[in-house]
Amino acid sequence: MSAALTTARKPNYRLRGLATETGAVLLGIVLVIWSLGPIYPMVMVALDSHDDVFSTHIFPPSPTLHSFWIVVTQGYWYLSSFWHQFANSFYVGFATTALTLLIGSLTSFVIGRMRLHGGWVVSNMALVTYVIPASFVAIPFYRIMQIYGWGNSLWSVIAAYVAFTTPYAIFVLQQYSVSIPIELDESARIDGASPWQVYTRIYLPLMAPALVAVGTFALLLAWNDYLYQFLLLSSKRNMTVAVVLAQFLNSDEAPWNYMMATAIIYSIPPIVAYYAFRRYMTSGLTMGGVKG
Amino acid sequence: MNGVGRRSVIRGSLGLAAAGALARPYIANAAAKTATVWWAQGFVPEEDASFKQMVADYEKASGNKIDYSILPFVALGQKMVSALQTGDTPDVISYDGIQTTLVLNAWNDKLVDVSDVVATQQAHFTSTALLSTKLYNKTENKRAFYAVPYKCASEPFHVWSDLVEKAGYKMSDIPNTWDKRWDFFKPMQAKLRAQGMRNVYAFGLQMTTNGPSDGNNVFHGFLIANGGQGLVTPDGKIHLADPQVKEAVIKTITYITTAYKQHYTPPGAISWNDADDNNGFHSKLFVMDFDGTISTELAMIHRPKDYNACVTMGLPLGNDGKPIPAMVGVIGGFIPKVAKNIVVAKDFMKFVIRPEVNNKYLKAGLGRWVPVFPELTQTDPFWLHSKDPHRAPYIEETLTGPSIPDYLAYTPAYAEVEAQQIWGQSYADVYKNGMTPTAAAENAFKQIEAIFAKYPIA
Amino acid sequence: MDGSSARVIGIGQPIVGRSVVRYTWRAGLQGPELIWALAFLVPYFATFLLFVVYPIAYGLWMGSNPALYTQLFSDPIYQETVVNTLIFVVIGVNLRMLLALGLSGFFMRREWWIKGLLMVFILPWAVPALPTFLSIHWMLNGDWGLLNNLIWDVFHVNGPSWLDQRWLALWSDVIAYVWKWLPFWTVILLAGRMAIPKDLYEAAEIDGATGLGRFAHITWPLLANLYLVSTLLGLLFTLGDFTTVYFVSGGGPANSTQVLATLGIRDAFVMSQPRLGVAAVMSAIPVLIPLVIWLMRRVRAAGVER
Repeated sequence: MSAALTTARKPNYRLRGLATETGAVLLGIVLVIWSLGPIYPMVMVALDSHDDVFSTHIFPPSPTLHSFWIVVTQGYWYLSSFWHQFANSFYVGFATTALTLLIGSLTSFVIGRMRLHGGWVVSNMALVTYVIPASFVAIPFYRIMQIYGWGNSLWSVIAAYVAFTTPYAIFVLQQYSVSIPIELDESARIDGASPWQVYTRIYLPLMAPALVAVGTFALLLAWNDYLYQFLLLSSKRNMTVAVVLAQFLNSDEAPWNYMMATAIIYSIPPIVAYYAFRRYMTSGLTMGGVKG
Repeated sequence: MNGVGRRSVIRGSLGLAAAGALARPYIANAAAKTATVWWAQGFVPEEDASFKQMVADYEKASGNKIDYSILPFVALGQKMVSALQTGDTPDVISYDGIQTTLVLNAWNDKLVDVSDVVATQQAHFTSTALLSTKLYNKTENKRAFYAVPYKCASEPFHVWSDLVEKAGYKMSDIPNTWDKRWDFFKPMQAKLRAQGMRNVYAFGLQMTTNGPSDGNNVFHGFLIANGGQGLVTPDGKIHLADPQVKEAVIKTITYITTAYKQHYTPPGAISWNDADDNNGFHSKLFVMDFDGTISTELAMIHRPKDYNACVTMGLPLGNDGKPIPAMVGVIGGFIPKVAKNIVVAKDFMKFVIRPEVNNKYLKAGLGRWVPVFPELTQTDPFWLHSKDPHRAPYIEETLTGPSIPDYLAYTPAYAEVEAQQIWGQSYADVYKNGMTPTAAAENAFKQIEAIFAKYPIA
Repeated sequence: MDGSSARVIGIGQPIVGRSVVRYTWRAGLQGPELIWALAFLVPYFATFLLFVVYPIAYGLWMGSNPALYTQLFSDPIYQETVVNTLIFVVIGVNLRMLLALGLSGFFMRREWWIKGLLMVFILPWAVPALPTFLSIHWMLNGDWGLLNNLIWDVFHVNGPSWLDQRWLALWSDVIAYVWKWLPFWTVILLAGRMAIPKDLYEAAEIDGATGLGRFAHITWPLLANLYLVSTLLGLLFTLGDFTTVYFVSGGGPANSTQVLATLGIRDAFVMSQPRLGVAAVMSAIPVLIPLVIWLMRRVRAAGVER
């Protein structure tokens, strides 16, 4: 392409640049409205002094933080153990994340780095786990937890989540590990490092972005689900916040403002986790699907 | 130093072993005296506190131990189904929702016959409570008590008196026959809209197939008022060929779908869930509705203005001018056959249905749940003679007036009819698929016959 | 052990004869290394056997009675449910992936506010599902929902009652589902785009390729496999999704927007027939198996291409 042609088209570029710039801003505004659309009413209900959800105004006439105060002081009977249950949610979330990362990284290390032949069988096994919709295994899972003696135990929920998240973890980690030169492992092994040393000193540090991404995924899955926590946990001491939220649906009548305040407080940890790790999220989730 | 340490360790472990030997029979003994119980969570915290008190009283009186879990009823419903399916259950279950699971498990011979428990108070129960828990067992080919009834509920009318007056009508003019009562509210819609209430409707007619029982309850209210009470008889037979039943079904479908097409009820009523109708009532989206229990009112108990503006009304007369029975949902505790401690389970339920215990327990719920012992209304002024404006009319309808059980107690086939929302589907046949009410009824009858064929009762 | 050739075989080889596998295995990992490898796999195998194989086997046993399927297939609601599930899954996933593909390109822009926007955009994924879907259910209420209030305020007409007609309600479910999961998949595709080396674009720019041309010749060929694998994974995830339909439309009106996952729960817990519920979900297996095989092939193909 000749230089003359390029310069001739330059003004056109600038005009087009302005047009796309405006388009981008407009799209940005649309995205903000789209993303906040359903969250806005949650905040409004939580700020409302009344427990109605159907006020016809767009903004509550006398906004108040009273509902949030009720939640943090455990001032409503559904919420009487809120902080304990919040801690339970953390326990489930962190245990799920830790176990997912441990199992996922060990398995992907064997398949991807140690190149165990027949390793593809393991990764296919993992993929097959996806086929099973959670609602299918819910009832059998309940029974099996009773057999294991984990009825009404936080560990039953953790086990369910780990079973669902490890396949994804293996998948992503294995794909990500392709970007790490295998020669690193090889030279370490020639220097006499055991597989365990390669795993802890080379694999884990270099995999950090993917580990953070997968960990966040596992945490959010554990945080978002409610069916399993609902089904498997029953006593007030063992409930998580997700079950407490569902409890508001228990009766045909509930203080929705307290529910939404609880939901908003419950949303804070995953949001913080995401923002803290967002750099890793984008670099860790490539899944190796892109050549390069 | 070392020697002493070792010796004390040895002594300590000997002591532990001895304690273990002593403790073992004690633990076995404790297990024999302990029953596990799953109970539905109350509507107000006082109900749960009252349950705990009842348990404490029982433990003190009997020396047994009750290991209970109080569960939100949706969670309880799912756990109970899973537990009964997989055979790992507690000793007693009491579930507040629709009693499908109870009747199906009685039918499948999975529950313990508790006739001996019911017998301890047999003379005191309402006949509806007894009919509701005497369920058919397919294996034994007979009926027996498979639940111990201890509370019940029905559907009263809830009216915003301030809206009635705003529309220019008087509460005292509300007619006392069924269709006329509903018709009375229709013209209020236009009058209130003319005063700026853009969204108001005459009534909240629950045609929903989403709520577990609201849609069925409203259908039954109309059915009985139209003289179709004999749809299912206590022997578990369905009478679709009975012209009186058929006419009542068609009339019911006609009234409800016509009111819907004429926009006298919010369009959302066809897909309301449990909470939506109450949300609508509280936002004064409609002037009146017919909905289970007085929870709608009790939710506003801390807002005296609203609490007093709302009026609870019992049933009017049927369309033929004769009194009609209320359909009452009865809740009982039941014991799975696989339960580990049936003896204590039964003993506990005997305690629960002692009238004085039951009275104390249910009073904490402010009357949302009604006792199954009519005599309590005479011995305790709380039920009929208190200052509360809503309780007395509700108790009269549910407990002291004429009543019948939910048909599902007669046969599990009807439990499936309710769970499949056959009647709600028949409205949809009219408003969505353009059928006539007669054709919609015929269509529903066909499905109902197919369901009943699966549950033959000799 | 020789690196390069084994790497290709590792996941690349679709089907390897049994004897060949045994041979390379022996040649590949030996003695202590093999023991290490197997030891590393123990946690995964334990999880898989205890919490995946056993429950699934139990579930298959629960749903093994053919009579359940006769009952299921004769249910008119089931037939509608199959159609709904297809629409919900196929349209929901593809709409979401197309939007994610477009938006991931948008988020590659370098304006200062893009990063902030991405943070807001990610919120639907981070906020727990139950209250947001309940909030959407309320928003869409025909009588007092926020959406119709807005329509009234702006246009002075009554909006439709979104959840009271089958197709509007089903679309509401689809949109709610897209809303919830769009951020996650946008981030995935964004990551994929970021992994494309910049010099490829620079080279293309010298060749005069812009906009669509760049996308068609560089971005798409490199992103296609990730896109396809994500779509297949999405199809599987969505088939099991229960929360969206359960809370947004509740399967109504008149059970016309149930999907298999919600129908399974309804049959199991509302109808109190757990085996029928398991059968409802299991009836999806004939669709699931080809999907999984396809997915496995794609994943393995990705391994070979490398």
